[in-house]
Amino acid sequence: MQETVLSVQNLSKKINGKTIVDDVSFELRAGEILGFLGPNGAGKTTTIRMLVDLIKPTSGTVTICGKPVQREPEQALRHVGSIVENPEMYGYMTGWQNLEHFARMQDGIDEARIREVTSIVKLQDRIHDKVKTYSLGMRQRLGIAQALLGRPKLLILDEPTNGLDPKGIKELRTFIRQLAQEGLCLLVSSHLLSEVQLLCDRFVIIHGGKVAAAGTVEQLIRSAGNQVLWQFEHGEDGIRELLKDSRIQLIERIDYGDAAAQPAAKAVTAMSEELIPETVARLAAGGVRIHGVCKAEPTLEEMFLTMTESETIA
Amino acid sequence: MLRLAALIQNEAMKLWLKKRFLVIVLILLILIPVFTYAQHKMVKNNREHFADWRNQTLQQIADIENTLSSDRIPEEWKKGRRIAVQQLRYYLEHDINPSEPSGVQFTREFLGNAITLFIPMLVLAIGSDIVSGERTAGTIKMLLTRPVRRWKILLAKLLALTLYVSLTIAVTVILCYLISGFVFGYGGFGAPVLTGFRLQGGTVDAQAVHAIPQWRFLLMQAGLCWFASMIVAILGLMVSVLVRSTAASMVTMMAAIIAGSILSSMSSTWTSAKYLFSVNLKLTGYLDGSPPPIEGMTLPFSVAVLSVWGAASLAVSFRVFTKGDILN
Amino acid sequence: MNSRLAWYLIAVCSVIATVLWLTGLGITAMDILVPASASEAGGTEETRTAPVATPLEQAEEIRLLALGDSLTKGTGDETGQGYVHRLAEGLKSRYGKPVSMLGNLAVNGMTATELSERLEQDEIVQNTVRQANLIVFSIGGNDLFLSARAKWNGRQLKAVSVDELTGDLEEAAGRFRSITSRLHALNPNATVVYMGLYNPFFDIDELRDASLKIQLWNKQAYGALHEFPLMRMAPTFDLFEDRIIERLSSDHFHPNGDGYEKIASRMLDAL
Repeated sequence: MQETVLSVQNLSKKINGKTIVDDVSFELRAGEILGFLGPNGAGKTTTIRMLVDLIKPTSGTVTICGKPVQREPEQALRHVGSIVENPEMYGYMTGWQNLEHFARMQDGIDEARIREVTSIVKLQDRIHDKVKTYSLGMRQRLGIAQALLGRPKLLILDEPTNGLDPKGIKELRTFIRQLAQEGLCLLVSSHLLSEVQLLCDRFVIIHGGKVAAAGTVEQLIRSAGNQVLWQFEHGEDGIRELLKDSRIQLIERIDYGDAAAQPAAKAVTAMSEELIPETVARLAAGGVRIHGVCKAEPTLEEMFLTMTESETIA
Repeated sequence: MLRLAALIQNEAMKLWLKKRFLVIVLILLILIPVFTYAQHKMVKNNREHFADWRNQTLQQIADIENTLSSDRIPEEWKKGRRIAVQQLRYYLEHDINPSEPSGVQFTREFLGNAITLFIPMLVLAIGSDIVSGERTAGTIKMLLTRPVRRWKILLAKLLALTLYVSLTIAVTVILCYLISGFVFGYGGFGAPVLTGFRLQGGTVDAQAVHAIPQWRFLLMQAGLCWFASMIVAILGLMVSVLVRSTAASMVTMMAAIIAGSILSSMSSTWTSAKYLFSVNLKLTGYLDGSPPPIEGMTLPFSVAVLSVWGAASLAVSFRVFTKGDILN
Repeated sequence: MNSRLAWYLIAVCSVIATVLWLTGLGITAMDILVPASASEAGGTEETRTAPVATPLEQAEEIRLLALGDSLTKGTGDETGQGYVHRLAEGLKSRYGKPVSMLGNLAVNGMTATELSERLEQDEIVQNTVRQANLIVFSIGGNDLFLSARAKWNGRQLKAVSVDELTGDLEEAAGRFRSITSRLHALNPNATVVYMGLYNPFFDIDELRDASLKIQLWNKQAYGALHEFPLMRMAPTFDLFEDRIIERLSSDHFHPNGDGYEKIASRMLDAL
């Protein structure tokens, strides 16, 4: 069993009587990259702020490397590097002065370490320029350099891809993976799944302040169930026949073809794949002309979208 | 403890690199020559018209007496004028020139006039965004996620502010002396100045009046100036903690200070105004015996009122800063 | 490292400054708490170097002192100069000597009693009188016209009688005598010029006779001045008769700039 770096238990936050975060629990083990997903306004940032002691939770606890953040912030935050939202540094100071500033807030960080993190984020050329002259990508890198200063065990990046161009995003991904390989444990939040899907080992999807789903990609997809795509020459008849079995649910119907007679249709259904042979036999016997049957696995993206969208509507 | 020093260094360097202090030095470099020139004009004018300072002082007394005979002037104000007459007479009787022009004398006058408005403004220019600035820029999120207790960060900010308050007063005194000394001469350290006037009703109790060398008077003034400025700085810190926007926190403090100086110049009959902090800022006035804005105010009273304000705002600042959520 | 040096500099300077200002606070506290130890006032023991007044003719410079009431103060003069400044200008051009003002110690509303008391009791004024070689003064107007002016302001002039107007003339004249002798005692070498009174109500029929009383006062005053060889009187009554509108200011009592100009030239003539 790997060591638990971050443990969040029953975390809730009410602001002005409104529940922003509701009973959120998850864990992060050493060497993991955790994707923290959710649409804007789902409570992601509030949760992250509670992780790093910017906001006091109404109830629940956050423990980092065995130290409770709320009661022993000095002990707990020692192991954390973080960028909450934008990487805002002091614009009137140089990158180097910014790093020196944050280095002074923690023990055991010397000039050599500052130089080291500067080269990790490849900012050597511009480190003595004022931060206000930096591009967003450079600020992001400086932010990461700052987060890495204290040799953290956990790195928290809140929306790290915000405002970056595709090239920057790609670089960041490579960089994050590289950090993980060096044994760092990361929590990366995003409202866009595609940006972190390839990066993360596990996901926590948060919606409306609650954990909507959690697990690895396989676990998440399996939990979503299988989908089968049918194609009928006569959509109306085919689908009516298909749905006579109560174990089959229609998810989506797409009509196509010549509309003069009865139009052809595609039907996306949720059903277990064991049912396919007997259903084909049943439909063939019923005279339905089947043009195609195929198994469809939803991407995590689709799942994420349906999960978060449906709940928005509900 | 070493960590606290490093934190103070952080805050002091931030203020330094924001070039706030430079701005203050520039303001002083522009304003002091202006005032020096005005004073020089006045001294020159007096030299042309009067044989020596005694005649000038006597004329001053006669002028005040003439204003006293006017019915248009409110009684409260006359009381202050009568006190001024008594003091001027006291100077004459003891053959001490109340305003022998010199670099030190100019500095003394400048400090006495700057304590209510000018120096507080300078202090606010340095410190009014010390917390709200970090909120506006978002850097507070970096600052508070470091493994340092929040009270230590606020304490470091307060101490850094203290250092700059001291520096501001030092720079004011030094620049005043250097610039005005160029015109009025660099002497005047030993010139006697009377202090210890006690005001009872409309008369001056001269029992405790004694002469002290001007350098000592200047040092006392600067000490009081420092105290008043620290209270302003502490209040500014509180407003900076409470108010999110830098502009709002600056404006709030300035409004409070200007309101105070207006109230004190109105020689208000509203006596409860003496518990407002900004009415109590003119601490140096007690040294040279100018009448207080509201009757019954004394130096210990004002110091006590200011201390209470300072302590209360410190309590509020630390409470809010350590417990508050960083939401923006 | 540049910024480290800056920090050390800031730290050292500001800590020194803080200590210094705290010391200042401490001294202030001591000063208030231990007032008993206060050293006797009057730090410098320099003897007063009041220059001995030399007579006007031989003096290197004219040391002018003005005493008295609002007429000397210059009330009513829209330029604010009064006769004193105009006189000083005139002296400067006539004698070609520098004229230094020892002061215009006139106070609005001063009566003969008050001036006499001041000369008796006020050491500072006495010292100034000793330094002067030319003293100009005006007094008596407030003693004679006080009640009339009050009623004038109240638009009740008709109620003023000539007798009331100049009621305590005798007593005031006695005060005047003590003023002149006091001035002489203080400074026998100074030339003294007294500005005679005029009747500001000459144009009001009921009060036209007040001129007679005023002449009575001027005569008494002249008698007092005449005892001392260096004391003169500059008569002014004739300057204003029939010229009230031209030469008096809007308060119908004090001269205007023009009136003061005339008074100044009279004074200059008297010297």
